[in-house]
Formats: sequence, structure tokens, C-alpha cells
Amino acid sequence: MTAPFILFGMFFFLLVIGAPIVVALGASALTVYMAAGDDFVSLVQTAWNAVDSFPIMALPAFILSGALMQSAGISRRLVHIAEVMAGPMAGGLGFSAILASMFFGAISGSGPATTAAVGMLMIPAMVDRGYGRSYSAALTASSGGLGVVIPPSIPMVIYGVTASESITKLFMAGILPGIMLAGGLMITNYVISKKKGYVSGNIHPPGALRKACKDGIWAILAPVVILGGIYSGLFTPTEAAVVSVFYTLFIGVFVHKELSLDGFKESLNSTTWLTGRVLIIMFTATAFGRILVENDIPGMIAQSLLNMTDSLALIWIVVIAFLIFVGMFLETLATIMIVTPVLLPVMVSLGVDPIHFGIVLVCCCEIGFSTPPLGENMFIGSSIAKVSIEEISAKAMPFVLVEILVVVLLAFFPELVLWLPEFFGY
Amino acid sequence: MFKLIKQMDKLENYICQLLLCLFVVLLFMQVILRVFFNYGIPWSEELSRFAFVWFVFLGASYAARLSAHNRVTFHLRMMPDKMRNGVELLGDIFWIAFNTLMTLKSIEVIDSMMEFTYFSPALDWSMAYLYMIFPVSFTLTSLRIIQVNYMKLVCGVKFDDVDEPDLEQDVMSSPASKREQHGNRPLA
Repeated sequence: MTAPFILFGMFFFLLVIGAPIVVALGASALTVYMAAGDDFVSLVQTAWNAVDSFPIMALPAFILSGALMQSAGISRRLVHIAEVMAGPMAGGLGFSAILASMFFGAISGSGPATTAAVGMLMIPAMVDRGYGRSYSAALTASSGGLGVVIPPSIPMVIYGVTASESITKLFMAGILPGIMLAGGLMITNYVISKKKGYVSGNIHPPGALRKACKDGIWAILAPVVILGGIYSGLFTPTEAAVVSVFYTLFIGVFVHKELSLDGFKESLNSTTWLTGRVLIIMFTATAFGRILVENDIPGMIAQSLLNMTDSLALIWIVVIAFLIFVGMFLETLATIMIVTPVLLPVMVSLGVDPIHFGIVLVCCCEIGFSTPPLGENMFIGSSIAKVSIEEISAKAMPFVLVEILVVVLLAFFPELVLWLPEFFGY
Repeated sequence: MFKLIKQMDKLENYICQLLLCLFVVLLFMQVILRVFFNYGIPWSEELSRFAFVWFVFLGASYAARLSAHNRVTFHLRMMPDKMRNGVELLGDIFWIAFNTLMTLKSIEVIDSMMEFTYFSPALDWSMAYLYMIFPVSFTLTSLRIIQVNYMKLVCGVKFDDVDEPDLEQDVMSSPASKREQHGNRPLA
């Protein structure tokens, strides 16, 4: 029974001395093998098998297409359409920012990319109209997380691969929760804006929306191509991501004529290191997870949870609190890779559907994007709005609380997640 | 000569970009052929997966060069710079040790695969050659860690946190008309 102690002891020790997460996972697994005097040939095989998978190839393809959409002017046009839609009611421009994040979430699978694309345009516009700087940054940082809940979603790809669940089904299940989270954010924005007297954007001339849509027609078609292709069964998620890369290249070069060679090279460059640092964790996290399963850690956790209480609702609360806590410190995709092999068997043994658990997990990670100390979206909001992380996190509190409420609802009512995929026969 | 060394600094990056283009184009071809011609090239999926694995492991080495690997840093940020560098150096030594052990073990695995050859199903390539990415990438990563620590501790180069983007342009102070062409540093 010493293996788990060595594993976790080494893991936390390495995290504390600032070793990369990939090393903390890999070296602790390696230490377990060496302490038991076992050969660690299996680690080399894991290195190959964990990465050699067709579905994970969606990750670099989605990162690449997101980066290209930025350079090709697709992102800007989508955000502009949402901006023009700002109504005259209180918090109208904030409403637009959330809407823009939803649009953008439907082409991008990443939270920080959504925050950057939306924030670049919306934060200055909100500040111009008298919204508080830190409030504008907090709002975009929170709504940027919608990028990972509204399909396509990179965290869902990772969950689907780690849990061997259908990524298409996850993409279907994420729609309603994404709309609910956006609705929660919109209500919060309305209440706060009403109190602070924040108003709408510039009053746009009547034809502005039509003009924005006409200019952005190819941008609007991007989510139709990606999601339509996946849902109709024409493409797998990986293929859809690749098709969207070429769609973006075509639009960027021939239609918008904005994609430069430099923009293209920079997109390839950032895709390289982003994929490298994330997917090498896939290898060490798999090795780590295997040792946990071999030592029946999930069974022990399930047992101790059941000893504490036999109410599934209480267990959900404990699990959600734990996930949000972990998400505060750990990078999102690493969190999913580490937590899934441990918690998924626990929840399944309690009768939870794996798709349901996956969506709740992704939503918890979504909240982690806008909570300190590690909140990737807040870093971006802070560098755009030039306000400190502390101020943003204070202003983000109401949004975080509402999002937690929505996640608890999703956990308690599985139909909210599972109804749509079942309706479409997945 | 100096130019060559400068190019070497981005060696993994260039190879990775080639591999990335290769597998993205292969997958696209496969989709086009299937959807429009109802035809599939038997080896294209396998080749793209192999290019992808190599891409990931070389990309990890490039990420090490950029000091981009994710760490838990909130407590390290509170330390004085010198102390933080010292603690991180200890972490990096563990990293190098891990890489070295993996390099040695993967060479051992490759040796035994040379004897009992295992071929990939579609391309009929010997897996031993494909596994050679492991000694190469783990060793390269170790070299990059040493390089980064040398630059950090001896030359005093500061590595910015890549997740806190340094926007090229100050969007808040530029007039609205110029905001459109913003710095397009992609994020994920």
C-alpha cells in the first residue's frame, strides 16, 4: 500500500518546487516503478500509445484554426456583429460581449482565445461608454469561458479521449449548458449594470446590423460548416477541425484578403508549442492514472465518499467544490487528464452517466478560467484592460457565483445535459 | 556559422511546422477523397498519426526552449527572484533526470524491437525506427532545459510567462478606428 503514498508525495513535492506538471506526473510514476524494483518499459509504450490517437489530433487542428481565424479576420467580424446587436437596455454592451463569446465559442474550442478575441474589441468599447475597467475585464474573462462549453471544445476533446466517450455526443450535450451559463451571466450583467448605470453601446444606425452581417457572412458560416459537419455525421470532430483550417485559409486569403504569410507562420508556430506542452502531459497523466487504477484508488475514494453520505446530491457538491478548487491552481487540460481516471469510475459506480459527468467537469474548468491565482482568462483581461488581477477577481465574484449555481443545477438535473443528445439519437 | 547556430535554436520548431502541415494536409485530402469520391488511401491515416506523435514530442522540446511548460507558480511568484530561480533549478534537475532515464529506457526498448521487429499495420514500417523519436526528443528537451537555465542564471535573460500575453499594441489608448488591426498573437 506504499505506492499511492510515493506517487502523491512525489507529485506534490515536484509541483511545490516548480517542476512542470508533466514532470511531476511522470517522475512520480517513474519513482513508483523504481521503488518497487519494476522495469519501466511500459512507460515508453505509454508514451507512444497515449499520443498515437486519431481523436486527439482534433486538438492541434482546433488550435490552428482558431489562430488562423484571428489572422483571417473571421473573429473580428463575428465580434462586430454581436457589438452592433447591443440593445438600449441597461448593460446592453455587456450583453453584446457575452453574445460575442457565444458566437466565438461556436468556432473556437478555447477559453483564453475567446477572451482575447472578444476582449480586444469589447473591453475598449465598454470603457468608452463608461463601464468600469475592471468590470469590463471581469465580464469578458467570465464569458470567455463559454468558449469551452459551447462546442467545439478542446477540453471536451481531451475528456472524450481520456474517458473513451464519444466527442460528438459531448459536443451535442454542451449546447444547453452553454446557453444556461450565458443566460446566468446575462442576468448578472443586467442587475449590476442597472445598479451602476451602465448603458448600451453607441446607437447604431438602422442598417448597421445588416451591413455587419453582410460583411461577416463567411464568418457566420464558419460555425455552420464546423458544427453542421460534425452533427450531420459527415465529419468526425478531428476532420471538422481540419476542414475549418482550410475553410479559414480560403476565406482569409481569397475573400477577406487579410491573412498574411506572417500571420500564417505565427499560427503554425504557436500551435507547435501549445500542442507540445499539452499533449506530452497526456503521456505522463496516462502513466500516473494507470498506477492509481492498479492500486484501486477510485474504489477507495468511492467507498470513503459513501461512508460519509449516501446522498448523490451531497457527493456532487463535494466533487464540484473539489474540481473548482483544483481548477484554481492547475492548468485546465491537465486537470481533466488527471481527474478523469480517478473520479469518472467513482461517479459511474454511483450511477452517473459519463457524458453528464464530463459536461459538469468541463463547466467546473470553465469557472477555473476566471478564478485566481491561475485564471488564464483573467491574465488576458488584465493585460487588455490594464487593471490588476486582484481587481478583476473581485469584480468577477458575482459571475463566478452564478456560474457555480448553474453547474450545481446541471449536476442535479442530468436531463439538462442528456436531453439534447438523446433527442438527436446519440 | 553564427547564423547556423541561430537557426539551430529553432530546429524543433521548423521540423514541427513541417510535420503539422503534413498531417493537416493528409487529413484534409482524406476527407475530400471520402466525401466526394468515396475513396480512401489506406496508409494516410496511419502516416498522419505518426507525423502527429513526432510533432507532439518535438513540440514539447520546443516548448521547453520557450520555457512554456505549465507549472504551478502562485507560491513561486511570492518569492524573491533569486530564490525562485534556485527552487526552479531544483525542479529542472528532476526534469533532466526523468528525461535521462526515459532516454536510456527507450534506447533499450528500441534495441529489443530491432531484434523482434514489429511492423505498423498499413505502412509496414518498423516501429523501432518510429520509436527513435523518444531518445531524440527527451535528449533535446534536456539540452533545452540546460540552455534556458544558462540563459536565465548566467546571462540574466528574463523569460516572460507565455500565458500572460504581452500585447504588442496598447488597445486601450489607441483610437477606435485603429483598434481593428490588433496584435494577433494566437492563444489557446
